Amino acid sequence: MQFSGTVQIAAPRARVWEFLMDPDQVGSCGPGVESIEVIDADHFKAKAKVGIGFISARFVVDMTVAERNEPELAVLKAHGQAPGSAVDATANMHLAGPDEGPTTMDWSADVTISGTLASVGARMIEGTANKMIGQTFDCIRAKLEAG
Amino acid sequence: MTTEAQAPTTTEEVGGMGHSKKRKEDPRFIRGQGEYIEDVVLPNMVWMDIVRTPYAHAKIKSIDASEALKMPGVLAVITGKDLEAAGLHWMPTLAGDKQMVLPVDEVMYQSQEVAAVIAETRYQAADAITAVYVDYEPLPVIVDPYKALEPDAPVLRPDRGPDKQHNRIWHWESGDRAATDAALAASDKVVPIDVYIPRIHVASIETCGCIADYDPVRAHLDFHVTSQAPHVYRTVISLVSGIPESSIRVKTHDIGGGFGGKVPVYPGYVIAIVASLTLGRPVKWIEDRSENLQADSFARDYHVHAELGLTNDGTITGLRVKTLADHGYADAAADPSKYPAGLFNVITGSYDMPQAFVEVDAAYTNKPPGGVAYRCSFRVTEAVHTIERLVDEAARVVGMDPAAFRMKNFIRKDQFPYHTPTGWDYDSGDYHTALQKALDMIGYDELRREQAEKRARGELMGIGISSFTEIVGAGPSHDFDIIGIKMFDSAEIRVHPTGSAILRLGVQSQGQGHETTFAQIVAEELGIPMSKVMVEEGDTDTAPYGLGTYASRSTPTAGAATAIAARKIKEKTRLLAAHLLECSPDDLEWTPGQWNVKGSPDRFKTIAELAFAAYTNHPAGMEAGLEATDYYDPPNLTFPFGSYICVVDIDKGTGQVKVRRFVAIDDCGNIINPMIVDGQIHGGLTMGLAPALYEEISYDENGNNLAGTFMDYLLPTALETPAWETGKTITPSPHHPLGAKGVGESATVGAPPAIANAVVDALAHLGVTNVDIPITPQKVWRILHEKGVV
Repeated sequence: MQFSGTVQIAAPRARVWEFLMDPDQVGSCGPGVESIEVIDADHFKAKAKVGIGFISARFVVDMTVAERNEPELAVLKAHGQAPGSAVDATANMHLAGPDEGPTTMDWSADVTISGTLASVGARMIEGTANKMIGQTFDCIRAKLEAG
Repeated sequence: MTTEAQAPTTTEEVGGMGHSKKRKEDPRFIRGQGEYIEDVVLPNMVWMDIVRTPYAHAKIKSIDASEALKMPGVLAVITGKDLEAAGLHWMPTLAGDKQMVLPVDEVMYQSQEVAAVIAETRYQAADAITAVYVDYEPLPVIVDPYKALEPDAPVLRPDRGPDKQHNRIWHWESGDRAATDAALAASDKVVPIDVYIPRIHVASIETCGCIADYDPVRAHLDFHVTSQAPHVYRTVISLVSGIPESSIRVKTHDIGGGFGGKVPVYPGYVIAIVASLTLGRPVKWIEDRSENLQADSFARDYHVHAELGLTNDGTITGLRVKTLADHGYADAAADPSKYPAGLFNVITGSYDMPQAFVEVDAAYTNKPPGGVAYRCSFRVTEAVHTIERLVDEAARVVGMDPAAFRMKNFIRKDQFPYHTPTGWDYDSGDYHTALQKALDMIGYDELRREQAEKRARGELMGIGISSFTEIVGAGPSHDFDIIGIKMFDSAEIRVHPTGSAILRLGVQSQGQGHETTFAQIVAEELGIPMSKVMVEEGDTDTAPYGLGTYASRSTPTAGAATAIAARKIKEKTRLLAAHLLECSPDDLEWTPGQWNVKGSPDRFKTIAELAFAAYTNHPAGMEAGLEATDYYDPPNLTFPFGSYICVVDIDKGTGQVKVRRFVAIDDCGNIINPMIVDGQIHGGLTMGLAPALYEEISYDENGNNLAGTFMDYLLPTALETPAWETGKTITPSPHHPLGAKGVGESATVGAPPAIANAVVDALAHLGVTNVDIPITPQKVWRILHEKGVV
């Protein structure tokens, strides 16, 4: 599944970058995230509960910052597993705009869902994923703009 | 000679052939007192549940079971590495390929078994499978069999050796290629069709399951299982495990539907046996519904391109067929050894076909293995669907009515026995009579008038015909075997001193009513009332060896064996009667249930008297007792046939197809129990409606199964099912001892093309030439929009 979008954030680019590169900060915006464990600057592990319809699963997700070019571009890879389900994703973020803001973030994500969640949730998966991505960015923007 | 009915020769009480006796098994079923595998509970029994992969293709980097092993009640976790140590991580399939019991390095389809957890209770096992952590590295997935055969496709089965580093499993041909090419080249017209017969699942209401009960003290394995072929299981288990066949007892119980899905030996069975060997306790494993739909053997999945040659007057000149079969990651079909594509080359159907050539390629993909014959005799459904769709198209191309086109090209009854260009010898048939009866019964001409009126008003109504020929009763030993075992079947009859009897069979009922039908055969032959004939199947310690029930083979093989065994007993009672009546055996004649002295109607001995004498007063030199066994090797297959006509109405707003009427004329030769035959046809028609309109196991591009629940895999219920209108003709099989042919699958095979033809007929004036099954509202709605109808 391919997703992409653009978000306008009324905050300086450096601050947006910093927020996005901080697993604890950005992790707090991930829907269903229960814990974040930072392994090193480029590797962290998240535990998250994801539900589609009546199916829900607790994922352990290994995330790697595959590429970073401060303060413009980052590529994040994720590989998550739950009993009977798996998710593999690559996300690209590109930040643009004046240093003082507002910052424009163009993002795209290639997400592969496997197993029960994909089989049973097939009809709802795209809608649910869209909604979850929307919630994540709403949260990121709200937190950055608030403070 | 074709007739419309056959008169019973026995009384209602005796209940031989032709009596609609109520089923002896039903009192326990309708009271909920059947004993299915789930009902069997053994002392000290533990449970198994299976960890399955979410990925359709991935490398296994590691399996960590440490957390699971700490959970309450967990006794063991079994992985592929454990089995590898014993050489049990792969097992042979019935099709001569091999499949994994548990993977060591790679998983090959979504929901494949990865590890098994054994625990004291089912809940503990189910909880613990979520605590087995498997680390995967995803690999490229091949879902499309055409892509699998591309030269740069990843090789899915590198284990096959250096000369087979590709995904083509096999190539199979039948018929004369050059003669067929020449016949088509010389034809006035060549009509092509491309049909996809989708992957479907038998979806029996009872899923698969087993209890493996190895007793280390006796060194003996009791294996309770939902199997259509218990003896073959015993042989396979012995070959795989090394346990002597004498120390294995396979026991089936009541079976809640098989339809071909309970012929293969599944990995779960082998793992359960290993678990029981390891723990020394009975281990039970029952699939849940999603496991059943996602991991058990599938059926169909044939991509067919076919061309029919014609003269301008609508005479068929030849048939050329090229097919790609998607077998998943292993060929686990249960076809006879010499027939990797089953009996698909019966595709010349009911037609006088001068030439034909059929070729099939099979490909590996990242899907579950299989290719089972879902209520059909080895790929006959695929064959019949193709030829019946193609014949309809051909009629349209030459401007003939599809009924008239069939009548013109049918094999005539004076041509039987008929040798087909792909090598079959049809034993008997009368196709014109069956189709005419169907046309009369449904009022064909009136329906065509109604259709013309409706079309003029813009309404969509279609009429579809299917005139199928089945090929069942596998099969003659010179041609038919499974893993080398010839496809005979067997019966053993013992008549007790007081005149009742037990009949033991090598076949296995899954709901077909064997306890009734086979008792009626004994009643017919010996005059013992069917109520006094107990039929026993499914215990390999007592039943004679047989190949089991599938492919409509029970009546053609075990039914014949029963009749022959009964006739052996009858011959012995003749000698007993001669002894008791003090006459020569030649002076005796049989009337149902007794031997009479010719010309002296008051001098006779009944079967009950003779049975008593066999134990109490047998002559010197004769063995005591009254029993006989027969292993029947059929001289030919049998060829049931029929003509079905379907009327559909299509809702232009929603694309919904409604089957308004469906007439089914079946000819299965002589009939043993007319009510059971009707029941088989009603059930078969519903299971033909299902793939025509509802059922498909589809996959997304990552190999995720999108029909893993009954929410997505749609089984028709009574609401979707029309009121079937059935009729029959009777053309006895000339070589079967009872003149019977088998009927379990005719309707499943014959119904889908009748429905598809009706839908195409409703849309043909829009330029539609094919709609692949399942014909969902979405597909029809899209066509209607593309054609600008709505």
